[in-house]
Amino acid sequence: MIGMDTRGLQEIRETPAPTSIAAAILAVRALRKKIARKLIAGTIAATVLVPLLLVLAPEEAQALPAFARQTGQNCVSCHAGGQFPELTPYGRMFKMTGYTIGERALPLSVMAVVSSSRVRDTTKSDNPPADFAKNRAVTFSSASLFIAGKVTENIGLFSQITYDNYAEQAVAPDGVGAGKFKGHTNADNIDLRYADRFIDSNRDLIFGVSANNNPSVSDPWNTAAAWMQYVPVPSPSSSQFVDGNAPYPGYGSGGNVAGLSAYAYLNKMLYAELGGYKTANRGLSIMSAGINNAGTTKLKGTNPYWRLALTHEWGPHNIMLGTSGMIADVYDNPEDTSDPTSTHRFNDKGLDAQYQYLLDPHTVTAQVAYMTSKHRYPDSVANQPVNFVDALGNPLANTNTSDTTNTLRAKLTYVYQAKYGGSLGYFNRTGNTNTLNQTSGFDPATGLITSDPTGSLGAAELSTRVGGNLSGNPATRGFTYEAFWTPMQYVRVGLQYTTYSKFNGASSNYDGLGRDAKDNNTLFFYVWGAY
Amino acid sequence: MKRASLTLALALVAIGAGCSSLERSRSLANPSTPAKTLASQVCSNCHGLDGNSISPNFPKLAEQQQEYIVAQLNQFRNHRREDPPGFIYMWGISRSLTDDQIKGLAAYFAEQKSVSPGSGNPKLIEEGKQIFDSGLPAQNVPPCSTCHGDHGQGNGQFPRVANQHADYAVKQLTVFQQTEQRPDGVAMKVVTHSLSRQNMEAVAAYLQDIPPK
Ligand code: HEC
Ligand code: HEC
Repeated sequence: MIGMDTRGLQEIRETPAPTSIAAAILAVRALRKKIARKLIAGTIAATVLVPLLLVLAPEEAQALPAFARQTGQNCVSCHAGGQFPELTPYGRMFKMTGYTIGERALPLSVMAVVSSSRVRDTTKSDNPPADFAKNRAVTFSSASLFIAGKVTENIGLFSQITYDNYAEQAVAPDGVGAGKFKGHTNADNIDLRYADRFIDSNRDLIFGVSANNNPSVSDPWNTAAAWMQYVPVPSPSSSQFVDGNAPYPGYGSGGNVAGLSAYAYLNKMLYAELGGYKTANRGLSIMSAGINNAGTTKLKGTNPYWRLALTHEWGPHNIMLGTSGMIADVYDNPEDTSDPTSTHRFNDKGLDAQYQYLLDPHTVTAQVAYMTSKHRYPDSVANQPVNFVDALGNPLANTNTSDTTNTLRAKLTYVYQAKYGGSLGYFNRTGNTNTLNQTSGFDPATGLITSDPTGSLGAAELSTRVGGNLSGNPATRGFTYEAFWTPMQYVRVGLQYTTYSKFNGASSNYDGLGRDAKDNNTLFFYVWGAY
Repeated sequence: MKRASLTLALALVAIGAGCSSLERSRSLANPSTPAKTLASQVCSNCHGLDGNSISPNFPKLAEQQQEYIVAQLNQFRNHRREDPPGFIYMWGISRSLTDDQIKGLAAYFAEQKSVSPGSGNPKLIEEGKQIFDSGLPAQNVPPCSTCHGDHGQGNGQFPRVANQHADYAVKQLTVFQQTEQRPDGVAMKVVTHSLSRQNMEAVAAYLQDIPPK
């Protein structure tokens, strides 16, 4: 989930800027890191933990995570085949009725992830220790604290605070090798909701309101953008190609914004939700606690989010067909929102479907999500010249005024006895070419790929290896194979292998410096535990 | 601004507390939550509002014998019935129910009308009817109808088995035969002793779509 929240933000950050802006961005990044260091876990503890602990006075404590304690039920009641966080029909009802089933209990849980990533090829790099930091090393990547539970008859809370052990990395002293890492804590998913249910033999209506910080985190299906990617993604660069960092449908606003949505579920058939999201600042800053100003998504006005889904259940089967969307105006520079025209407009529309077969000892889930995203750039970014030239030395087209990308994700999972599972996932992102995406290219003076790591050739802009993009196209495609084992209900051990047949628009030599898509294939091992 | 968030949180809590109504409560630990409310707000999520559960993972409770439901809820509550789905789902649900709530819940489900979840393989059903009506004398299996009634309608402590999901019935027969996880089912331990898997599937297929009287 760490990987998810900032997806929208990351997309903007990762959008390569023309050189003129690039230097400024680098400066901003450095500043951001400095500020980030000052924000410590203590701030969060003071603002979130203490008041909530007082409100949610524990009535009973057992050695089980918070919701399981509250209902007295096992994880598999709510999580399909024990797979966190995919919900069963009952789990969805538990969520839609505001996490209020059961009795109040100690509302705290913790989760930690230990993992190891191994990238197939680490030689085609100018600086392997930096490009593949912690490759093959076993790392304690992140930990989360959940405050979750029934508050009153109608109000319940799901909130997550995450510590990323590798949140920041300093530049190595001599510019070679990997710099030191530093941990950081911030608000992750938050969903505080009020719900009521009117049920009798004529109709069954659930309605509710959710205050949350991530569009679709309120959604009960796991094909929703906030939930489909579920394995916490470690930050070190050796994990840049793990499945969680491969394309997933997501909203332009990303997470850590402040939203309010109202939803209704009628006759277990029709679900509808409408929400609006704003910048998480001032009174709403709790939604982005721990994230500094420069890292906070700044939205212009209130940005609409909607969701519709049709559901049906028969025997041990259930199916959902849904659609969702969001229009978000995101300021180009989070630290300067004075110009109302300096915004990126993201228009995202998605279709998703989920099928589950749940009959002890078998769990089968099939998920598909597709999103088409239109991204219109502010004038300062649109229609700008770029420094690279084409292979023949001709100037490249100016940057586009808007882009369209389409992202498809599909996944099939089988779990036996809620213990042994395997899944096959497919991802395919396609989109139009934009010279703005080019982070590798030919130098106008030498006609060569600008590969000089020391910059002594005097190139206007250096090509990026490993993460570079020579084509200007975002196409990325591949498969993820996963096997997992849940020896106890609160421990999951997983092995993922993600393969790429296309990366940054090409199968081979995508960075112009000889790196092929398959060089990025990554083996990822993780142990996830919660208590 | 921290104060503002805190005020907001507290205000929401206060509003919530103000308009909570026991009539639509999902609280399992409040002795004053009416049984009917629990049945519709909580139990319905798995067993169906009228006790006709959709998923065979969850037993049907519609028209079930009141006495039997009371006995089972007590057994879940005091951890006597301990087959895995029992403790995974029902121990927690029942842990704070009062005797009165249990009685009310049992009465509520006993009053509902049971409907068949659908028919199975006719050949299997025929074989199952034979076992249900006449037992398997060669294997010392008594007719099920002697205890569960001619139409599987049950009687008091003998549960209704008519229209029960076949998958659930097979799982229970296996529990009785192979484990001590339902100690109050001693009668069934004897009955299932020499039933084969094929016998169980046949009789369960018959139960699921047993013709009403
Ligand atoms: C999360 C799903 C779930 C909920 C909610 C739930 N149950 Fe159950 N219930 C089950 C499962 C699964 C079983 C089967 C247990 C077993 O095989 O031991 C069961 C079994 C039972 C049985 C025994 C049935 C039989 O034929 O032996 C009774 C009685 C019962 N539940 C009553 C209730 C009542 C009353 C409520 C509400 C207060 C409730 N249940 C809520 C899942 C649920
Ligand atoms: C001697 C009386 C008796 C006979 C004969 C008998 N049963 Fe039972 N059966 C019971 C009792 C008593 C229970 C309840 C056990 C308990 O409380 O745990 C039961 C429980 C069951 C259950 C579990 C019901 C539930 O909802 O969990 C099934 C299924 C069942 N019997 C099927 C059969 C079949 C099939 C036969 C014939 C092959 C049969 N029974 C014969 C007495 C009998």
